[in-house]
Amino acid sequence: MAAVDTEAVDFEPEDDDLMDEDAGVDIETSPRAQQPKLKSAITGGSSFSAPKKTKGRGFREETVAERNNRFASNNFDSLVSDGGPGPQRSIEGWIILVTGVHEEAQEDDLHNEFGEYGEVKNLHLNLDRRTGFVKGYALIEYERFEEAQAAISHLNGSQLLSQNITVDWAFSNGPYRRRNMRRRSPRGHRSRSPRRRY
Amino acid sequence: MAAAEDSGEFYLRYYVGHKGKFGHEFLEFEFRDDGKLRYANNSNYKNDTMIRKEVFLTPAVLKECRRIISDSEIMKEDDMNWPEPDFVGRQELEIVMGNEHISFTTSKIGSLVDVQSSNDPEGLRIFYYLVQDLKCFVFSLISLHFKIKPI
Repeated sequence: MAAVDTEAVDFEPEDDDLMDEDAGVDIETSPRAQQPKLKSAITGGSSFSAPKKTKGRGFREETVAERNNRFASNNFDSLVSDGGPGPQRSIEGWIILVTGVHEEAQEDDLHNEFGEYGEVKNLHLNLDRRTGFVKGYALIEYERFEEAQAAISHLNGSQLLSQNITVDWAFSNGPYRRRNMRRRSPRGHRSRSPRRRY
Repeated sequence: MAAAEDSGEFYLRYYVGHKGKFGHEFLEFEFRDDGKLRYANNSNYKNDTMIRKEVFLTPAVLKECRRIISDSEIMKEDDMNWPEPDFVGRQELEIVMGNEHISFTTSKIGSLVDVQSSNDPEGLRIFYYLVQDLKCFVFSLISLHFKIKPI
């Protein structure tokens, strides 16, 4: 059930990030230094690369141990993936995301438009909880890859109720932009950078 | 605003939970910069088991998540005057976006009445609706991908 490959690939970097931060924390002397180490792992280890405006009581509280317990990262279920680039199949089909959806759009509008490329097996057109209007996105499921691909090709950048919509895959086989943020960002005074992980 | 939406660091974590006669019951989800969405839901009621799911999202989905956050203007708020977490439960919302990092905590919010009677109804209302919109987004993603009912 759980994709062993994916987990092996995905979780190691997080441990590395933790190490990275351990190294960073003793240098940094801002109030954030007291911040639980997990926080930094969370942001991909890059939270110390630039001065960041922090706000909130969450920074002052000790919840690391608890959070580690709850969110222990080694037993999450995921669907089997080949780890390569590209869209991932969901359990019963292929899901695409539509954004830029007009706030007064109806499910029928989307069914009409997207039904052209195959049977729409599922449609989520979620509402803004405050206004009650459409939030601006829709998730659509097709049974077949080709149907979803055709809908993306034809409808991405088209207009729906006089608004431009974007259409793209929702799920991916693997991560993107892995930690390259940090490599690009100026390290400033933080020159020590343990690279023993490789 | 547009710049913060499209580029720069991004991280979001939301937690809501309490400890009671059914143990520690909580719901938590996390969006990471690299596209990973993690979802955990632990309810011990009727011997229910922990649900933990993870999936990689495309940049398009993360971008929409950023848009929802930007539009809410939650980053301008502060939890200073929000109700403190209590025995009924706690909520945590942590967001890193661009150069800002918020980590807000508060009690559970039953309804808008709780929002109105708080010391910061405007700010808490933004939090209250944003959390609902985010949950709604995550539940749709998880339920479509895994065909489970998230709650």
